[in-house]
Amino acid sequence: MNATVSAGWGTQLDQVTRRWVTDSIRQPWGLGVAVVQPVIWIVLFGNVFQSVAQVPGFGHDDYLTFLVPGILMMTVLYSGAWAGTGFIEDIRSGVMDRMLSSPVSRSALVLGQLVQQLLICVVQGVIVLAIGALAGAHYSGGVLGMAVALAASVLLAAAFCSLSAAVALLVRDQTALIGISTIVVLPATFISTALMPAQLLPAWVATAAKFNPLTWATSVAQTAMSSDVDWGIVVSRSLWLALLAAVVAWWSLRAMRSYQRSL
Amino acid sequence: MAPPAIEADGLVKTYPGGRGRPLVRALDGLTLSVTAGTVHGLLGPNGAGKSTTTKVLTTLSTPTSGTARVAGHDVAREAVQVRRRIGYVSQGTGADPLLTPRENLVMTGRLRGLGRSAASDRAASLVDRFGLAEFADRGAAKLSGGTRRKLDVALGLVGSPQVLFLDEPTTGLDPEARAAMWAEIRRLAGEDSLTVLLTTHYLEEADRLADGLSIVDRGRVVAAGTPEELKATLAGDTLTVDLVEPDADLVQRVAAAVPGLDEVLVHVEGPAGRLVARTPDGPLLVGPTIAALQAAGVRHGAVAVSRPTLDDVYLRHAGRAWTSAEQTLEVAR
Repeated sequence: MNATVSAGWGTQLDQVTRRWVTDSIRQPWGLGVAVVQPVIWIVLFGNVFQSVAQVPGFGHDDYLTFLVPGILMMTVLYSGAWAGTGFIEDIRSGVMDRMLSSPVSRSALVLGQLVQQLLICVVQGVIVLAIGALAGAHYSGGVLGMAVALAASVLLAAAFCSLSAAVALLVRDQTALIGISTIVVLPATFISTALMPAQLLPAWVATAAKFNPLTWATSVAQTAMSSDVDWGIVVSRSLWLALLAAVVAWWSLRAMRSYQRSL
Repeated sequence: MAPPAIEADGLVKTYPGGRGRPLVRALDGLTLSVTAGTVHGLLGPNGAGKSTTTKVLTTLSTPTSGTARVAGHDVAREAVQVRRRIGYVSQGTGADPLLTPRENLVMTGRLRGLGRSAASDRAASLVDRFGLAEFADRGAAKLSGGTRRKLDVALGLVGSPQVLFLDEPTTGLDPEARAAMWAEIRRLAGEDSLTVLLTTHYLEEADRLADGLSIVDRGRVVAAGTPEELKATLAGDTLTVDLVEPDADLVQRVAAAVPGLDEVLVHVEGPAGRLVARTPDGPLLVGPTIAALQAAGVRHGAVAVSRPTLDDVYLRHAGRAWTSAEQTLEVAR
């Protein structure tokens, strides 16, 4: 046997992804919460804010149809906040040290976990859309609209999961990661157009919301799933999201190197 | 002669002390040479720098200064070459608890470049060899400490390494599991061309398993050689007297005044104590020592004369670290 061969990058990425997918399937509680959370949100927000549709200037037919794209993106954010915990667990247990002392590419370690997160994101997204439809939301944009909305959610997930991974690799502490995520996620949810159209938000919130990636992704999904698609918004906001995802993913790779330097 | 499997020269590793405190010097000019195909023990108290040495040699950590070559490659400049030729069993577990042992082994093989069937063959042979068949397809989280440690070692061997690093492989194991692990390491030692670097704070472990030893203290190697060579550096015998409620200063004064007793150490723990001294001729010194202690009113228990053990070597060279090492010594007995 030749001890000096090492696997191609694609094989490494595939193996790392498979490992995380298997891990998540074997943690039924985590998966269960990932599914139940959006259901609760759709039912809760859909009912509590129902009367918003009657407010002059709301600009959409019914609140639920308006809400589903926002819930889709919120789901991404709240699941993504946990993305880095796998790395912290690996650092604590010693799996990370074993991986880093073996000829496995650092980028495969980071991106393999990201791919698994994106797969989960797609599954969650499909579930959100299905529940929304059952609850009575209308997707005038059809299958194409839904596909564009899911693609936008994947871009948002790529950015946010990478952020969680980078923070995890830098702070290496579960409590700190969850704390930081919560501080980011909750304001990000409300300073966005996920729950309320921009024209009903206070002026300063509406202005701040323009710079929020959650707003970009929600706008893409809202227009793509409507009967009157604004492709200019779809393309521009998707590009912004892709750029952001690329930058944050690059940062998470840097964070892996920074972890190793700390050893 | 084959070049050494591990060569470290003047390794220094400093860590930030944090909050304006001075740098922590974990390695302070550590130099080490390990002959290919041997088991080499790095022995020292907790915090001596053993794990840091392992981290530098496995390319996990970059030395602040100094150089090291492992399996013929420089750990800093040719890290990937080194990683392809080593296995590392850290103090933690290397196994994913949610995967089964077999899945862990197969994944590791695939990551190291084995094809699908080669990886599962390799996994099967390691399962077989480490007696893991019964547990191979259950979650790794449910394994007992000893079985999990065997899996960790098996994971370290998946890539058929030239050098295997075992960082405290038996810490936390019960005596039975420890004996099983020792048997396993001895078998590894018999393998062609495998070099094992074993860090341990158990003297007995080092004495039984290692062909060569380096005693590490405060980030430096303070003594090196085969266990026999190291024991031979201590001529004469060790005289040990168990003490009852001793006054350490008094015992120290009395014993030091006995002609022929050298390197007197008095160790007190609760009501019990122990006098350890070196002497060129143990049996001859028993009488005068006991007489002197009794004359001073020191109560004592058993008296023993022994040939040098690794304990004595360890004490002699890492003696300054006695307080931090003492519990280790107790456990090791």
